[in-house]
Amino acid sequence: MKVLDVNSVTKVFGNYKAVDKVSFSIEEGKIFGLLGPNGAGKTTIIRMITNIFAPDEGSIKIFGEDINSNSKNQIGYLPEERGLYKKTKVIEQLEYFGRLKGLTRNEAHKKAKYWLEKVGANGWENKKIQELSKGMAQKVQFVSTILHEPNFMIFDEPFSGFDPINAELLINILLEMKSQGKTIILSTHQMYQVEKLCDDIFMINKGKQVLNGNLREIKKNYGKNNLIIEFEGNGNFLKSISQNQIIDYSENRAEIKITSYDEAQQILKNAITDNQITRFEIEEPPLNQIFIDIVEKNRDEYETIK
Amino acid sequence: MKQSNKIWTIISFEFITRVKSKGFIISTILAPIFLIALIIIPGLVASFSMNETSKHIAVIDQSSIVVDKLIRDDAKTFFKSNSSVDELKKQILNGKLDAFLLIPNDVLQKGEVTVFTPGGGGIGYIEKIDKIISDIVREKRLLNAGVDKKVITIVEQGIDIKSIKVTTEGTQKDYTEFFSIFGYMLGFMIYFLMFMYGAIVMRGVITEKVNRIIEVINSSAKPMEIMMGKIFGIGGVGLLQVLIWVILLAVVTVAGGSIATMFIHQPSLSSISQGAAATQIKGLPFDIPQIPIGVWFAFVFFFLVGYFMYSALFAAVGSAVDQEEDAQQLQMPITMPLIIPILFMPAIMANPDGTLAIVLSLIPFFSPIIMTARIAATSVPLWQIATSVVLTLGTLLLCVWLASKIYRTGILMYGKKPSFKELIKWIRLAK
Repeated sequence: MKVLDVNSVTKVFGNYKAVDKVSFSIEEGKIFGLLGPNGAGKTTIIRMITNIFAPDEGSIKIFGEDINSNSKNQIGYLPEERGLYKKTKVIEQLEYFGRLKGLTRNEAHKKAKYWLEKVGANGWENKKIQELSKGMAQKVQFVSTILHEPNFMIFDEPFSGFDPINAELLINILLEMKSQGKTIILSTHQMYQVEKLCDDIFMINKGKQVLNGNLREIKKNYGKNNLIIEFEGNGNFLKSISQNQIIDYSENRAEIKITSYDEAQQILKNAITDNQITRFEIEEPPLNQIFIDIVEKNRDEYETIK
Repeated sequence: MKQSNKIWTIISFEFITRVKSKGFIISTILAPIFLIALIIIPGLVASFSMNETSKHIAVIDQSSIVVDKLIRDDAKTFFKSNSSVDELKKQILNGKLDAFLLIPNDVLQKGEVTVFTPGGGGIGYIEKIDKIISDIVREKRLLNAGVDKKVITIVEQGIDIKSIKVTTEGTQKDYTEFFSIFGYMLGFMIYFLMFMYGAIVMRGVITEKVNRIIEVINSSAKPMEIMMGKIFGIGGVGLLQVLIWVILLAVVTVAGGSIATMFIHQPSLSSISQGAAATQIKGLPFDIPQIPIGVWFAFVFFFLVGYFMYSALFAAVGSAVDQEEDAQQLQMPITMPLIIPILFMPAIMANPDGTLAIVLSLIPFFSPIIMTARIAATSVPLWQIATSVVLTLGTLLLCVWLASKIYRTGILMYGKKPSFKELIKWIRLAK
């Protein structure tokens, strides 16, 4: 089932096309990475999904229905720029945000307590936000967005302000939610977290889609994979490969640029005839590399047009 | 969940967190304490001094019925005089005389007695005169009419005392002046409340924007709900505060009055506390006539309409800026129409039925202050009140509509402080 279906959506601010004919969809139970450089249009897309404003063209469906004021209650949204009332007690804010999402005061109170304990924040109920450290406030903020236990959540840079221990805690909560069949959009610049958590990704640059699909597939098909092969033998198989492709060569070890998995299989076949293979590994390019490549390629194109 | 519940959630959050705050509790308590000090201390001082120094009051009794009984009652204070009114007026201005009493020939028919005073000086002796003369006149009247003594005790009809203030400019009615001051006070109070609570709304909007709370709330509720919830919630706080003050004021003046009268040893407090005289608050350095209930209605109505009108505009300004300092310039078009009525107030109160007063009171942005003041100070024709009510309500809707358009765009905009031109663009672009 499609939890979210974004269909050819465009949003224009004045003369500026913030989002240009963007389409993607998210299956239930997936963690979906929404990527892009700063100012690419990520926040605009999220704001349209959360119905903060409406698209100029195209349609967005949540749980198969057009966005309406009710769909706000089905989403949990942690914005990148976030904040809490500094002079209000933790429990009072959580109750407020929970009630705004349709919980009763009682439910909100119970769930607030449950989640505070879960993130290791029990005993903070009666503290004011201004008494908390940044990391502590971030935990409260996180709780405020998932309090109503929505089936669809959007986290924009959820890890900022967290130390590695708390980041790990957050990752575990996200994975637990995923295992419960909940759907998550994760928007972050931390590619390491994306590689670790996301099933599918969507990348936007200058308002336009540049990548969309399964993360593994994208990496596999990106065409910039490296083959690392270690062997014992004459190494004759390397002679049939163009010198440009061989990035690194030493005795018993070679690093070869390949464009497809078939090519790697061919190299393996050639090598195995008179070599003992001790290591054969196709190294996918880090997402980080893909990200930078795409953004730079785009910039070049843009400047040529100019 | 129904939308109305979201607005209600926002209203109750805004209301409860603010009512519970230290600022609210302190300002609610401190303001009346200040007011109590202002009212009760001079009252008490006046009542103490009343017992110590007796006044010299001349009595011109053209009817010859009353004066003897007055002197019998309090020989220290009252004495018979044959001087002319002008002569006695001079004596008052010279300070030789505290007051004089003119009892006309037809006192029995018209029931009117005039006290000439230099203004101020406490009302203790006026009440005394009222009491004594009322008794005499009532008795005489009823006896003349051949009524039974039993009936006389039942009938509580008193007489009117017109208090006339003698000044170098001539004489004027005390109550007119009171109602003018009272109107000025009400107008000023509305000005103060609209400004104070409007600014609170604006600060609340800016705080939510600066702390980026708005982004979270915005994903839960509509901008219109957030804005109106805030305005209603804070308006509720304002109304509660005013209500607490009014109740405190009533309790204090009644209690203060009783305390003061205890010092004066009024012989018949009970009879005064019935009838029309009950609305006179004793123990004060001035007397307060009955304030028509309509004035209070007008006060509450125009406070609410004015508050909603201006706070919507304040909310729009708050949404457009990133910090309070930037709001100064954008606030100008809001603060100007707030301040202008206050500047015109003395002129309007001098002639509350004049053309200037009528015109200004019909301009919707001025109505809350000026119309309230006029209603308190004079009897405003119904058509004028109706016109201003319709115009202010219409303007209120227009303001809320415009403000909500600016607000929904403004809360998502960060960075450059927008110009008026940009605000107009936002209004046009918002769907």
